[in-house]
Amino acid sequence: MFSTWRALSPRARREALEAYLALTPWIIGFLIFTVFPIGASIYLGFTQWTIVEPPEWIGLDNYVRMFTRDPLFWQALKVTGLFVLISLPLKLILGLMLALLLNLKIPGMNLYRTVFYIPAVISGVAVSLMWMWLLQPDTGVVNTLLSYIGVKGPNWFWDRHWALPSVAIMSAWKVGGSAIIYLAGLQNISAHLYEAAEIDGANPWHRFWKITLPLLTPTIFFQLIIELIDSFKVFTEAFVITQGGPLKSTYFYMLYFYEEAFQNFNMGYASALALLLTSIILATTVFINYTSKRWVYYES
Amino acid sequence: MNRETEITFKESAAAAARTARRADLGHSARQWLGYAAAYGFMTVLALLFMIPLLWMFSTSLKSRQEIFAWPPDWIPTSPQWFNYASAFEKYPLARFMLNSAFLVIANTIGELISVPLIAFAFARLRFPGKRILFVLMLSTMMLPGQIKLIPLFSMFSRLKMIGTYWPLILPSFFGNPFFIFLMVQYIRTIPRELDEAARMDGASTWTILYRIILPLSRPAITVLVVFTFLWTWNDFLQPLIYLSSFDSYPISVGLAFFQGRYSVEWNLFMAATLISIIPVLVLYFFAQRHLIGGISSLGLKG
Amino acid sequence: MMQRVSTRWIALLVLVALILPNVITLAQDNVVTIEWWTVNSEEYSEEAQRGLAAQFEATHPNIRVNVTVLPESGFDERMTTTLGAGEGAPDVAFFWNTNWYPQALDLTPYIEADPDLGPETYFENFWLTRAVWQDKIVGLPLGVGANFVMYNKAVFDEAGVEYPTADWTTDDYLEMAAALADPDQRRWGGDRPRGPFRAIWRNYGAFPYSDDSTTVDGFLNSDASVAAYTWLWDLVASGATPTPADLEILGTEGTGPIDLFLAGRLAMATLNQGHMLNAIDAGVEFGIVPEPQVEGNERYVNAWSLTASIWSGTQHPDEAYEFLSYWVGPEGQRYLMENGNLFPSIPEVLAEYENAETDYAQAFFSVLEYRQVAEWTNAHPCNSTVLRAAVDAWDLINLGEIERDQVEATLDGLVEPSQAALDECVARLGG
Repeated sequence: MFSTWRALSPRARREALEAYLALTPWIIGFLIFTVFPIGASIYLGFTQWTIVEPPEWIGLDNYVRMFTRDPLFWQALKVTGLFVLISLPLKLILGLMLALLLNLKIPGMNLYRTVFYIPAVISGVAVSLMWMWLLQPDTGVVNTLLSYIGVKGPNWFWDRHWALPSVAIMSAWKVGGSAIIYLAGLQNISAHLYEAAEIDGANPWHRFWKITLPLLTPTIFFQLIIELIDSFKVFTEAFVITQGGPLKSTYFYMLYFYEEAFQNFNMGYASALALLLTSIILATTVFINYTSKRWVYYES
Repeated sequence: MNRETEITFKESAAAAARTARRADLGHSARQWLGYAAAYGFMTVLALLFMIPLLWMFSTSLKSRQEIFAWPPDWIPTSPQWFNYASAFEKYPLARFMLNSAFLVIANTIGELISVPLIAFAFARLRFPGKRILFVLMLSTMMLPGQIKLIPLFSMFSRLKMIGTYWPLILPSFFGNPFFIFLMVQYIRTIPRELDEAARMDGASTWTILYRIILPLSRPAITVLVVFTFLWTWNDFLQPLIYLSSFDSYPISVGLAFFQGRYSVEWNLFMAATLISIIPVLVLYFFAQRHLIGGISSLGLKG
Repeated sequence: MMQRVSTRWIALLVLVALILPNVITLAQDNVVTIEWWTVNSEEYSEEAQRGLAAQFEATHPNIRVNVTVLPESGFDERMTTTLGAGEGAPDVAFFWNTNWYPQALDLTPYIEADPDLGPETYFENFWLTRAVWQDKIVGLPLGVGANFVMYNKAVFDEAGVEYPTADWTTDDYLEMAAALADPDQRRWGGDRPRGPFRAIWRNYGAFPYSDDSTTVDGFLNSDASVAAYTWLWDLVASGATPTPADLEILGTEGTGPIDLFLAGRLAMATLNQGHMLNAIDAGVEFGIVPEPQVEGNERYVNAWSLTASIWSGTQHPDEAYEFLSYWVGPEGQRYLMENGNLFPSIPEVLAEYENAETDYAQAFFSVLEYRQVAEWTNAHPCNSTVLRAAVDAWDLINLGEIERDQVEATLDGLVEPSQAALDECVARLGG
């Protein structure tokens, strides 16, 4: 790093110094709020710690156990991976579609935007109860509506094949939150571009593919990373509604982590689980970041 | 705002007027049809999204026996409006919400001070180690929050901050990686010619940030404010861990008191939940017009 | 413009920081402050507990009690965090999770020196399951609670079914449930257990693994265990019990389907004394019987009391004991009974309950005499880990995915993963 520094011109040095100055708050925060806890988790990942007694060093045993003799770990990983594959595209596409709708310049849009934001606002037990009620197999609103069109609805949360999609639907319903971020991203696309395209005779479909989508890629990239992290960390729905069932079909990684950490007091193993999850997400992010050069268009 | 942008602004206004006129002449019938279709579709969709709220509202007005009666009623036979009064009587909800509001304001201030500065450095300035630092910044979002609980608690405990609001406020002054990332992506889409033109005029880095980039980032700043409000308002675990006095609890912790050991008074719980989300929705209702703006209204050639 | 605004914000922030509530109070030299953490619940409200602390302070001028009332749903996380950090834990609190016991102060010397309080003060079986752990006294038991079956008299009368009696059996339960169910009204006869290896499993004589924590084979899949799971299969197949979907939606947070019972849609439900008070408030006519027995076997109850303890890291153990013995002693429990809904764990004080002579109170008191499910589970900390590994049998039966004659084979198939989970857990906890 220092050799790079010497190679810099005085102007570039000045710019770099200004950057470090601007980054100071984050660097301090990183050292205090992240390095210390991560360091602690890395250490604890090599120990057996029941919380109430001092940690005991066991080397790599937690990791060995994870990969060689823990069927629950593999189940949790499988379920979570599957959830990411279902939920990620669903949320990305629905969020964008909703944002495009909410970006229409028509009167009364304020109200619509607020309505679609509601699901993102309500959290906790009330929402879980509401979803169980909506998706109740015999009497729930959803299956009642389906029966009107002659479809026999599934058992949703109470079916080993449908429980995972049910959780995905539940999280997709909160898409109003990510629509806001798309909406903000849409504001950075110059009206001139649309105008020019319109003069050239491009139809709305073309304008979407040729202008909106490419210029929105920085926002899509952001959403992709954020939703990826969120999907890997899915927890609350399973914790409150399914407790991982039926037949461990919603046994998410974070649920396993939580049970180990706060119910079985197996904090050493839980730390190892957390670090492994972090590594998986990080590796995926680095990969996406690497491909981003091909599909993300920045202004400069 | 400098002269150059002012000119382009006028230009774009003229362009918008042109578009509008053209629309009036040629496409008005088609446009009206489009409006009607959009409204129809959005209304149906909105109703679907509203179901939970309506259901919660209906539950909040029922008596305890009626909630689980069969067949269920959407409209309570005799609405129990006093459920709302009972919810307020049972716990000091107003006090809880005031505490939450304080936390929201403090966190918003913290994020507004730190985030634009950090994001600007990542998005616009060149410096050695940028890529590594950026990935490190992203990686902090990936570690599950619960794993940090015990080490952070130890730290705040040694700083004698347990029982105060500091552990809930201080981190925001060091920048939340989510918002930093959001701002970075946003700033990267703002044309660089703007900064370069300003630099030619002798503007310093900070002037560019606060006079050019920030005003154009209004939609992103709005997202920051809206989300900070929402997350602080709903955060349960952290206030639970760090606060000790009943009078200092935020609404998220306050709502949890409605769940008893043996049963939940669903009607009161729903009433309290509904009351608690009103401030979040009101803020959003008024903030969302700031989501619109930024470059698109300036009409710069990209 | 932005710059001016941010200076104003900083000024505002400094101002706000200055008025932040300052919780550090300067203690007077001779007064000791005790940190007490508790929860707010139907049995003891926030108000009643503050009253209790105030009364204690009035009679003990050298001790101040700082009360922290936490929501029930967050108490565990907070305790675990502070115990894990090894600092900031309260002097006196509930140690209701057996995993916390190693950090509870051993009360043996205090109990031996205390002329007013001892094992004989409390219900013997609650003392044994909730105060004694290994060779330590880890706390004192506050209050008593138990599961029992509540039946709705109106529904029984309407269906023309005779009320159950205390000596009823698991077969009676199946029969009555079938007779009481009425699909047209969406009314069910009786609920299903909320997990395996609770009272009914014990009544069949079933345990998930051997008493010395070495073997699963021959226990999880024993004849007794197969009989209990088959009983569940019969109940599910009868259609007289709510589906898992209905129970979860209407079962109010896993504590029991009280709301369904109150609405008259569930004729018999496994509930507890807290629900009993809900039913009295709602004016529902009901009776209480213990969970059904299996003839020839010893009878068990799923009962509990909350262990109240002193943290081993306390700076003021003597004062903490002063307060603990007041709170969980006769005076404190009487106060909480009279100012709330606590059922004291002290027989003499419980006898003072204002409605002690009623049928329901007598029925409730009588189940407290049975052997407790917790006796075994508290002494076998790997119980939950093994049950998690064996949960598929429970799920398959509840979802109706296996035939009656497949129950045994299913349990046989779960022996291996359960044994692995047991071995891992035992190795971790050091035997």
